[in-house]
Amino acid sequence: MSKDFARVALRTVQKLGASYADVRYVRIETENLHVKKGVPEEIRKGTLAGIGVRVIANGAWGLAGTTILKRASVVDTAKKAYKVALASARAKKIDVKLSAAPAKKAKYSTSFGKDPFKVSLEEKLEALKTAERTAAAESKQLIKTSSSFFRAHRERKLFLSSEGAEIDQTIVWCGGGVSATAIRNGDVQIRSYPASFRGNFNTAGYEFFESLDLGGHASETAREATQLLSAEKCPSTTTTLIIAGDQLALQVHESCGHPTELDRALGTEADYAGTSFLTPDKLGTFRYGSPKVNISADATAPGGLGTFGYDDEGVPARNVPLIKEGIFVNYQSSRETAALLNLPKGSSGGMRADSPLAMPIVRMTNINLLPGDWKAEELIRDTHDGVLMLTNKSWSIDDKRLNFQFGTEAAWLIRNGSKEKMIKQATYTGITPQFWGSCDAVSNDDWHMHGTPTCGKGVPGQVMYVGHGVSTARFRDVRVGIA
Amino acid sequence: MSLETLSELAQKATRLADKKGADQAEATAFTLVGDLTRFANSQIHQNVATYKEGLRIRVVLKKRIGDIVIAAFDPHSVESAVSNAIKIARFSPQNELFKSLPEPKKYAPLKGTFDRKTAACDPNFRADNAKRAIEVAHGKANFVKAVAGSYMTGSSAFAVANSLGTNAKAQISLAQMAVTVISEKEGSEGHGYYSAFARNIKEIDVDAIAEKAADKSVKSVQPIRLEPGEYEAILAPDAVALSLSYVSNGFVSTWFQDGTSFVKYNLGKQVFHEKFNLKDDGTDMATLYVSPVDGEGVPKQAIALVKDGVVDEKSICYDSYTSGKEGKESTGHASIPFYEAFGPGPDLVNMVLAPRDASVEEMIKETKQGVYVSRFHYVRTVNQPRMILTGLTRDGTFLIENGEITKPVRNLRFTDSFLDVYKGIQMIGKDQERQELATVPTLKVSKLRFTGVSEQ
Repeated sequence: MSKDFARVALRTVQKLGASYADVRYVRIETENLHVKKGVPEEIRKGTLAGIGVRVIANGAWGLAGTTILKRASVVDTAKKAYKVALASARAKKIDVKLSAAPAKKAKYSTSFGKDPFKVSLEEKLEALKTAERTAAAESKQLIKTSSSFFRAHRERKLFLSSEGAEIDQTIVWCGGGVSATAIRNGDVQIRSYPASFRGNFNTAGYEFFESLDLGGHASETAREATQLLSAEKCPSTTTTLIIAGDQLALQVHESCGHPTELDRALGTEADYAGTSFLTPDKLGTFRYGSPKVNISADATAPGGLGTFGYDDEGVPARNVPLIKEGIFVNYQSSRETAALLNLPKGSSGGMRADSPLAMPIVRMTNINLLPGDWKAEELIRDTHDGVLMLTNKSWSIDDKRLNFQFGTEAAWLIRNGSKEKMIKQATYTGITPQFWGSCDAVSNDDWHMHGTPTCGKGVPGQVMYVGHGVSTARFRDVRVGIA
Repeated sequence: MSLETLSELAQKATRLADKKGADQAEATAFTLVGDLTRFANSQIHQNVATYKEGLRIRVVLKKRIGDIVIAAFDPHSVESAVSNAIKIARFSPQNELFKSLPEPKKYAPLKGTFDRKTAACDPNFRADNAKRAIEVAHGKANFVKAVAGSYMTGSSAFAVANSLGTNAKAQISLAQMAVTVISEKEGSEGHGYYSAFARNIKEIDVDAIAEKAADKSVKSVQPIRLEPGEYEAILAPDAVALSLSYVSNGFVSTWFQDGTSFVKYNLGKQVFHEKFNLKDDGTDMATLYVSPVDGEGVPKQAIALVKDGVVDEKSICYDSYTSGKEGKESTGHASIPFYEAFGPGPDLVNMVLAPRDASVEEMIKETKQGVYVSRFHYVRTVNQPRMILTGLTRDGTFLIENGEITKPVRNLRFTDSFLDVYKGIQMIGKDQERQELATVPTLKVSKLRFTGVSEQ
């Protein structure tokens, strides 16, 4: 990739009179493998290369993007971005202002050992087939569908801005999972490892996928699916709830990640995903959770799916506390939204776009629940009556991120400090600050990074990959068993 | 880029794969033009104009399949993609369940799906319409606080060719507008929303959209808290369409074959109300993403998903791969590149729920104590075979008492089986609104189970 196209685009809009511009020249490679019921259901590779030009002209934003990488097309695209910005200015109330950010000249890559794109297809498919066949073999009678997945992503982007930034960045991530669906008399039960919806993903090389050892976990995963068929339904009650990391990651995502996005809080996502109950007047004082709750947005966390060197405005990756001992202390922000609130440290470095053709928007990086001072097993031993829930199955939350309801693949009834029996169709519901306010314990020995590669936001819709470092945590007086 | 050029590209890529030794090959060339002006806090804050072209190559070598998608049309990229697809196929295990790419079939092109003016709309046009929507909404009441939304124009086109002789193409222009209005009275917010999905900018009535959104918004301020429980409910088309997009999973062949579809366990049974008639028909101009063929070039078939409340094996929609598994023919439901989807598995995006004769006013009059739901939000499936969905109401939820809308209520969470909800239909509207994936009327149902209340 050459910086020439990006420079041409920058010069074009600067000549036209743009007060600010940045250009992203991006190449994305993807690989998706899916083995199902013994056959390779999907073996697909993809490449997308394009250029996106973002401009402020007459105090308003414009963006144009194209996949035609020819000089004339790049010039036309830059001119279009300028024209679009002028059109935006026809319906503006205030001029866009950006908080200060260093104009870096840098090169960055996420760390990885084995390049996942260089490992042979045969090797990857063999690992998937082994895992899938192992899951299927657990019960030929009951396991009706078994699947295994691998996904890899490499994104190289050049970022140049009219302020002088020149950043060459490469992000590589991969991962996968295995799942088994057991069916008997219309009762359908699924179990997945290491997480639902195609598995877990980290910014790492193929060694991360190998470390998941799908084949070694496939039998147990499938066995639990069959056991769920005979399990009792989750009781409808209010009780102590212990949530394992593979569910808590999504709880953090939905009820802390999204409401702390400053664009939502300022109303610019009102037409689609919604706004936020964490309005600016609450910043620094609002009790979001119990003193046990510490949550940060950390784009520097090793292995996190939201780890990078610089965001799509060229702002260096940061680790920003969002919730400190239960108090809401910071937003995730952009240069524009940070300026609107006069945030003293400027942008949190959370502007990301899912393609060169998309407008960067405030996005989660790695939203991590910091480890507490318990061991995961102690949480169970210390619980007289309760429910342990594992692995997300369904999720829903309102447009201000208050009323949520989650369902999990599996759950256990806890009696007198031990797991008494497995239960199925587990769901729980709550209101965000009450729920986090009831958190009385967070473990520290099972904390690790969970990757969520499918976070949707924006119009037109964008899908972003984000991370969540979490462990197991306990919550009191939670309503369970809704469905 | 013209449809003919796309078609030539697809055929050329197919021939290239053939020449390089593929047993079968398929190429899909597509372009997506998406220009979108977005506003919030009563001003434009995002504005994009994008062009994307892409080519998908699928090659088959003795039941080994290689699949590549690239975003370029230049000869070098195409040749390289074809070679890579063949390389992937060579190194892949055989897929014994794969039968064949589809045989060519005749189809009748659809007329009137593409409007040049809509496809090439100027950003000033969208900006001025955004401004107009903002003005109309603010004119509704002095406590309208903020207006948000988007106006999108653009086009999608694709051509698909395969080595068996398939050679098909389609294109549409698109114009969509959505407006959200936020009002505030004595610290209490009210939200309203309205949208329109069209293929021609002439069909976008900006004033009407803004007016309807603003009306719901100003009527929604100072909502009361309604206790959760079972209530009669009137579901506006937006809510009906979103719920059907989840119910429709039951008609998808992959779900049916995996045993997770509710249809599998209810073959020949009347699971919905006898007046509930739902079809998927890609050639019905009342729907948005109309196309004579699917993403594999197979002619779109109209499928009666639900006939007089009954579902059966004929309710299931197939692409060539999933139909081949059962020795059947594709129903023309392979994903269409109009919205950049390439499976896996079939897509239902042209649902039509047959209207009847009730007006919304009559529905309200017939309701003793119920809830009027303008929209659903964040719907998810809790139990697939029983079609239990959860989600929330949004942008205008009202209490109906003794035949009249009396008060706005806070957003409610529902958790219910939509087999039960739509079995309990009491009235079907004579209105029919085109939403993105379904064209539907308003419905009155005898009960919807609300399981929670939002705090704000």
